[in-house]
Amino acid sequence: MKTKVKQILEKLNTPDIAFADVRITMTDQEQIYFQNGFLRGFGSSLDSYAVGIRVLMNGCWGFAGTRDLSDVSINETIKLAKSNALHGSKFIKSPVTLQPIKPTVEDKTYIPEINPFTMPTEEKLAYLQNLAQKIKPQDKIVHSYCYGVFFHQEKFYANTEGTLTSNSFYNTLPAMCVIASDGSQIQSRTWPGHMSAGRGGFELFHQQKFEENTERIIKEATDLLTAPVIEDEKADLIIGGGHLALQLHESVGHATEADRIFGMEISYAGKTFIKPAMIGSLQYGSDIVNIYSDSSDPHGMGFHPVDDEGVPGRKVDIIKDGRLVNQQTSRDIAQRLDLEPSSNMKASYGDDFPLVRMTNFCLAPGKGTLDELITNTAKGYLVDFTKTWSIDDNRNNFQFTTEIGWKILDGKIVGIVKEPTYYGITTEFWNSCDWVCGPEEWKYHGTFHCGKGEPGQVMQLSHGVAPARFKDTVVKVKL
Amino acid sequence: MQEIILQHLVERLNANTEWKYQINVNDWQTDFLRFYDSQTNYNISKQNTSVDVSVYKDKKSYSFSIDQPTIKKIDKAVDITASLIDSLPEDPDFVDVETDLKKKTGPDKKNIIHVIPLDRKIFILKEIAAAADKLGFDIFGTFICNFQHTRILNSNKLDKEQTNSPIYFEVKAVQRDRQVTVLHTYGGESYRNFRLDRFISQLNEKMTFAGYEITDVEPGEYDVVFAPRCIAELMLYLSGSMTAMSYDQKSSYFEQKLNEQVFPDYINIIDDPDDKDIISFFYNGDGHVYNRLPLIENGVFTSFMCNNYYSHKTGLPKNGNSGACLVLHPGSVALDEMIGSVKRGLYISSLHYMNFINEKETSVTGLTRDGTFLIEDGKITKVVNNLRYTDKIVRIFQSITKLENQCQTVPFSDNYEFFDISCAKAPHVLVKDFNITSSTKTI
Repeated sequence: MKTKVKQILEKLNTPDIAFADVRITMTDQEQIYFQNGFLRGFGSSLDSYAVGIRVLMNGCWGFAGTRDLSDVSINETIKLAKSNALHGSKFIKSPVTLQPIKPTVEDKTYIPEINPFTMPTEEKLAYLQNLAQKIKPQDKIVHSYCYGVFFHQEKFYANTEGTLTSNSFYNTLPAMCVIASDGSQIQSRTWPGHMSAGRGGFELFHQQKFEENTERIIKEATDLLTAPVIEDEKADLIIGGGHLALQLHESVGHATEADRIFGMEISYAGKTFIKPAMIGSLQYGSDIVNIYSDSSDPHGMGFHPVDDEGVPGRKVDIIKDGRLVNQQTSRDIAQRLDLEPSSNMKASYGDDFPLVRMTNFCLAPGKGTLDELITNTAKGYLVDFTKTWSIDDNRNNFQFTTEIGWKILDGKIVGIVKEPTYYGITTEFWNSCDWVCGPEEWKYHGTFHCGKGEPGQVMQLSHGVAPARFKDTVVKVKL
Repeated sequence: MQEIILQHLVERLNANTEWKYQINVNDWQTDFLRFYDSQTNYNISKQNTSVDVSVYKDKKSYSFSIDQPTIKKIDKAVDITASLIDSLPEDPDFVDVETDLKKKTGPDKKNIIHVIPLDRKIFILKEIAAAADKLGFDIFGTFICNFQHTRILNSNKLDKEQTNSPIYFEVKAVQRDRQVTVLHTYGGESYRNFRLDRFISQLNEKMTFAGYEITDVEPGEYDVVFAPRCIAELMLYLSGSMTAMSYDQKSSYFEQKLNEQVFPDYINIIDDPDDKDIISFFYNGDGHVYNRLPLIENGVFTSFMCNNYYSHKTGLPKNGNSGACLVLHPGSVALDEMIGSVKRGLYISSLHYMNFINEKETSVTGLTRDGTFLIEDGKITKVVNNLRYTDKIVRIFQSITKLENQCQTVPFSDNYEFFDISCAKAPHVLVKDFNITSSTKTI
């Protein structure tokens, strides 16, 4: 495919094109889905190729993508990309220009411990069938499912500055869920939560201890049917890693995607409350809050040798000691903000247009274990396992509900609560953070389903977090 | 997809006489012009041909998808299927693939990508940008044209085709100094009904309201006039509870409410593929004919939407509907009269980031955006910051006290995982005591 990428690029090295890049992806996907103990879906899409051609002409981006890699189709795709740029440039008032960057030539390959595409199919099915049998409807459990989604992609990227890279990797999304009912209400428990995806293969099922937690989720879902709701107006909240990853994702990750500052996502994903003048001055969180974007860490799904416009993978502080210091940017947007590009331009498949996306977006660890944090909490709740999430157009007002909460009194867990719901304003919330647990609790969580852009793309990305505590959070929402 | 390749696939599948199968062939194209700050952001063209195949042997099944199918790729996928299928666990609820062989016909649909060339799109955008500029606004949004041709075949000799070629044109006008935003859209399958001057004048009217003073409101219960887009979106969320899948999974609000009065008797919701204003479908994904299906008649819940698989599994009658063509019937009140009847309340133009808290209870939280206004003494008087609501959708429908005397077609761009354009149709409605739980403090 490298040869193919180079051949296409040669056709774009013409004086009328200021910059061009070409991306080819080859993707394998497989899904196995058991419901109520039975195999309801097993399918694959293998050797799926996609190519995207992006050109900058007259200060305007034009793009065309196809899954047909024949020469005829490639020539037509080049023609369309150029036509799109030229037509679009008739409606431009601030032309895009790019500062050149040093080319990168590099190949990266990630090998999972257990390759889900080459391990025996019977072994995969037997493992999942065993899980499915353990969680199938019983007593108050009326519905259950477990599944694995396996993803392998090889990406080849080249641009007119001389960058030529390839990146081969495997990601896996494992999950299971039980739903309990007493006839009038339902309560659910998932494992290991909403952000269960990660870099790796079938070993993720073992690492995340699925088999060891089937009885736990059955019991917790059942107990939630008779559990109380939170009655307090405000409380100290300890947020577990799985859910904190989503809190970070929604209220910091998306808010610091700088294309939103310029309104490039208004029509779908939304804006941000951040203005350029806030960079370097806004106290986004308390001084123990340190947040960074790190596309150079191969353990997360956001790793790459270069992003999808040739910027080498790198670690960038976004919030340092609570202060907003940088943004996630493209080359064009970084220039407008007088920043270095952060290596955050990504497209899901070859035929998708690259957008500013989170890669490995992380909350740096503090100190102490979760047990120590609970012991040091006089009154509050530990919440985890996302149920509902919602945040406004400017990433300012959020409201989350988790499946379960644990009430803490005098440093001890004294019971559970159902559907704990909290809301807040982004900077007030992060400024109320008074404890982030240490490296021993820090780990990656991830999603396959971060939606952005039109036509829509879903991105696979990771968040490294450790549990953290937030003081005086509003936990009473009238329904 | 070339016929010779499709026939090869069919022959390979038919050669296994114990197999049942379903084939969906999709030819898809899109042209996307995304604009921001009254200029082009990017222009995208994409195309793909793919085939999705589900193979069944007794109660065992395996599925595969192929992009840009070739004989070599098909042979590989069929060989994998043959090597796997005997060893798979069974799904006891599978009985057969679709048996409805009836066909539906309608007028030919042109590829809208060719009907609205890029030059025309740029002209339209320049005109709208110029009109917005005069009022101190810039325009942001998307101008999308899609084309999709689908052919559905199965082992019961079903062989059907349908074409859809919708438009989704969305303009958000954003006030330069205060960022107040209003939304205007056009969508459906007909470009003939698009009138640029009318679009501009309707957008101008919204931009005028956006010039009002900005205020905030306290959490509490408000009488709310919902724009058609809002109530259509709530209706779409609610329709998930009207599916046989939801019934089967015990997550449906309507589980034991068939033929019960659930809403006021003036509420009628129909899944209507024959409505000329929305995107029509001949068939569902299995190939079953898509017919008009009343879901709520005079406030009574009348049907679960049920496909072939779930009909066998649940015993509910099969109708093949999926809620792709939802229409909330209009009432008899003019919009001015509806707003005029509100002493102090809100006008909400659009909803954002709504998610279920508890699906069975239909409790949701979400936000307003693109124009939230205060109504005082029967008139829109101020712009309000975007607000968060937390409420139950069934309670909202139960609290509708007035329906406007006309409907609007509301296009939605479905951007999650898979891109598509859909439509619903609804009037403005007046809802009592809508539960606002906090303010975002921002526009």
